[in-house]
Amino acid sequence: MAEKRERYQNRIELLQGTLDLLILQTLQWGPQHGYGISVAIRNRSGELLQVDTGSLYPALHRLEKQKWIRAEWRISENKQRAKFYQLTAAGKKQLTRERSKWSQLSDAIAGVLNPEQR
Amino acid sequence: MSFWRRKKRDADLEEELQSHLEMAARDGMEGGKGKREAEQAARREFGNVGLVKEVTRDVWGSRWLRDAADDARYGMRMLAKNPGFAIVAILSLALGIGATTAMFSVVYAVLVNPYPYANSDRMVHLVVHDANGNRRYVNLNGPQLQQLRQASSVESSAAMDGWDLTTTEGDLPENVQGVYLTSNAFVHFGVPTLLGRGLLPSDAPEGQDPENVAVLGYQFWQRHYGGDPGIVGKNIQLVHKTYSIVGVVRPRFTWGDGEVYLPLKLTADPVRTYFPMIRLKPGITRAAANAEFQSLLEQFAKQTPTHFPEHFRMAIEGLNDHFVTDIGGTLYLLLAAVALLLLIGCGNVSILLLARGTARQHELAVRSAIGAEGSRLLRQLLTESLMLSFTGAIIGVALANSLVKLIMNWLPEFSFPHEAAISINLPVLFFSVSLALLTGIIFGISPALQSARPDVAQVMQANTRKITTGVRGRRTHSVLIAGQIALTLLLLAGAGVAMRGFVRMMRVNLGYDPHNTMSVGIPVHDNTYTTWEARRAYFSQLLQKVGAMPEVDSAGLSTNATPPSNGWEQRFEISGKPVAEQQRARVNFISAGYFSVLRIPLLQGRIWDESETMHGSKLALINQTLARQYFPNGDAIGSEIRVPELKGEPPFQLAVAGSDGWFQVIGIVSDARNDGLRNPTKPSMYVPYTISMPVWTQILVRTKVPPLRILRAVREQIHTVDPDQQASRNVRDLDGWITTQPEWEQGHLVATLFAGFAILALALAATGLYSVISFAVSQRTGEFGIRMALGARPKDVLLIVFRSAAKSVTGGVLAGVVVTITLNRVLARWIQGSSLDAMILAGVILLLVVTSALSCFIPARRASSVDPTVALRYE
Repeated sequence: MAEKRERYQNRIELLQGTLDLLILQTLQWGPQHGYGISVAIRNRSGELLQVDTGSLYPALHRLEKQKWIRAEWRISENKQRAKFYQLTAAGKKQLTRERSKWSQLSDAIAGVLNPEQR
Repeated sequence: MSFWRRKKRDADLEEELQSHLEMAARDGMEGGKGKREAEQAARREFGNVGLVKEVTRDVWGSRWLRDAADDARYGMRMLAKNPGFAIVAILSLALGIGATTAMFSVVYAVLVNPYPYANSDRMVHLVVHDANGNRRYVNLNGPQLQQLRQASSVESSAAMDGWDLTTTEGDLPENVQGVYLTSNAFVHFGVPTLLGRGLLPSDAPEGQDPENVAVLGYQFWQRHYGGDPGIVGKNIQLVHKTYSIVGVVRPRFTWGDGEVYLPLKLTADPVRTYFPMIRLKPGITRAAANAEFQSLLEQFAKQTPTHFPEHFRMAIEGLNDHFVTDIGGTLYLLLAAVALLLLIGCGNVSILLLARGTARQHELAVRSAIGAEGSRLLRQLLTESLMLSFTGAIIGVALANSLVKLIMNWLPEFSFPHEAAISINLPVLFFSVSLALLTGIIFGISPALQSARPDVAQVMQANTRKITTGVRGRRTHSVLIAGQIALTLLLLAGAGVAMRGFVRMMRVNLGYDPHNTMSVGIPVHDNTYTTWEARRAYFSQLLQKVGAMPEVDSAGLSTNATPPSNGWEQRFEISGKPVAEQQRARVNFISAGYFSVLRIPLLQGRIWDESETMHGSKLALINQTLARQYFPNGDAIGSEIRVPELKGEPPFQLAVAGSDGWFQVIGIVSDARNDGLRNPTKPSMYVPYTISMPVWTQILVRTKVPPLRILRAVREQIHTVDPDQQASRNVRDLDGWITTQPEWEQGHLVATLFAGFAILALALAATGLYSVISFAVSQRTGEFGIRMALGARPKDVLLIVFRSAAKSVTGGVLAGVVVTITLNRVLARWIQGSSLDAMILAGVILLLVVTSALSCFIPARRASSVDPTVALRYE
């Protein structure tokens, strides 16, 4: 049990920055519940990114604690009670910051990988 | 996070994850799967639900709380496994915390928050110091009070007057302490009533007699009416006047110890004076107020010179100032004593924890080896000590509750404000909890620090058979033991000093015989027996009736002369000698029978007779001290003395004509204590009570049976003379007059509590020493086995054990002696009437050494009687 737990935690750390960015970006298009977020990320990434629930839910709760997203119980389109997450004003600002950080990072990595193109 | 919020969050998370699974399954079914298959697929893809929940919960940040619960559970198990250790540790703490809490609650109630009145910190008494530095409360008459109210430093003022009233409804009149208050007084105090209303301005309308309304004191309401909640609106008859009860005050409103509060109307009569109550404006300093009142009172002194000392200096006092000087030092001293007790208790627990830490080294090393961090172990150990201290605190508070009741009974009756509510209240509880936290950390931290970082390699490799323990642990033990012994010595010495002072006071030569004698107070009602002749006849008739009772051996009148603290201190003059300002004597107004009732022998001359009493003849007896001091040539008898201030003030004080003239000295009586139990007897003179009679006298009665047993019979006799005449409440025998002297009560309080605390400290220190030695012996059983196998005799082993204890005991005693001698000055100031001497110190050291030897002896004998073959196989 302890080992498995360790594995989950390691993965969270690995994905933390990017997963937060992906969640915030997904919520940019409107309120969504946990399952919806994981489906959206999977679909939009062309089935490449599989979000692990053991990373997703801690991330959602952490973002909520940081007041970047807000949670609310609502009825889904399938007439089912679900917890919907929604971006806050602070969350929107954070998204902008994360996005610019991400593009800087990917530029930098691209620069290192392909030095001749610069 | 609270328990309930966490539960709600847990349920929330559960539902959130459940809805995820259901939605995934629904999507699967829409993709063409069967219901079961879709559900299984969703679950597979989701992963371990329990694990997801756990990692999500970690985000909430309440992990430490769950860890703390684990620590507590584990700690509980450890304590339950060592009940002996737990009980000794918890009791050590409970005694310390209990005693400290009790003392603190007294200090808090008496010195920190004594009064329920609004802005009581700005309420002051008018006090002046006369030329000799004696303090005196100032009473003012009606017009003067009006003027005082206008003073610029006064925010609000009211006035009071007190009379002993009596109920006239029952079979025998009962004394009721009446306090008359101006109608603004309840606004002045700012304390709402418990039932009904307080006095209002309409109760004493301008230019009319006050309404017959009464507000009851809480105690009186409880005692006389059994706390009847429907009392408001009923009537009470006092001295044949019917008053309508309009309210009951709160329990802490005890101004003037009033039993009934009645409206007071100030009169313009310059003779009639009242007690002023003043609240200063905010920001007015005492010095500024004193300056203003000084000039005001000097002006008043010109109007009514007899109400003021000749030369005086204003020194207003806050409500509690007098009590602070009276008993503040004593209370702080006792608080310091219990703090020492608490420290000794903490030392005990530290010792026990250290010893157990050594025993647990193996366990802690194993935990450390399998991955517990040092900080985690530290927290575990601190949790255990906090559990001990909080359990100790809970028991301690329960103990404190009973101790507080005991202390309350022993507090000198008039040395603390009766408004003070001495109880275990919220601030006190807060104090106890802080104390528990603090002690938990103090005694827990050093053992925890030592044990939390075990040297894993060493412990794990070490042979399970120990030959000797490490030096470091033993050194800490020695220091703790020495510290405990030093503090115990200090407490024992303090107790010795206090007890000797008290015993000396109890053995004091009184000069009179207090046994089988009581003093029955006779408060004369307002506007009765207002002429000298009438009052003289009344008093002598009372005396005669009581003296004729068969149970009575002898009786006498003592207006102001009931020992051991009696007389009216006045300046006197001797005929034919120069007048000295400092020449003072205590003037006593008595009947001729006084000396035989108290068995005070007449040394020379004679006592006045009955007809001289009835005439108010100006004759005086003096005591030995006065004779020795002012008539060293033995020419006292036949000389003449006079007391210039001895004047009447009708209708209250009825004096014979020429009472401030010359008195002939006709006899000398033996000295009897007249200035308390501690001070030497002051010069005093005795004159016939008929010289000057106030609205109060006392009948001294020597009886053939225990005196209080015939009190009711005496009251019945008084009743036959005047059916309205009550006896004062709290009639006591003369032994009771001694034990209610402030110095007696204070000495009793300090001696008893100090002795109790010191005995507890001794017991705690002995327990500490015993635990250390037992522990050391058990650790060294193997060593002793080897020594004995090699030829050591039991005596040698006994010696080894004693020698190991001797060092710390000697060190502790030496340190204690140094501390005690250093603090001697402080002790001497607060424990009056006695100081440290070599006898006490030697006795205390002997007691400590013997106790220490006894606590070593039991474990040492166990060590020396060990069988070598068993010892070597030990463990």
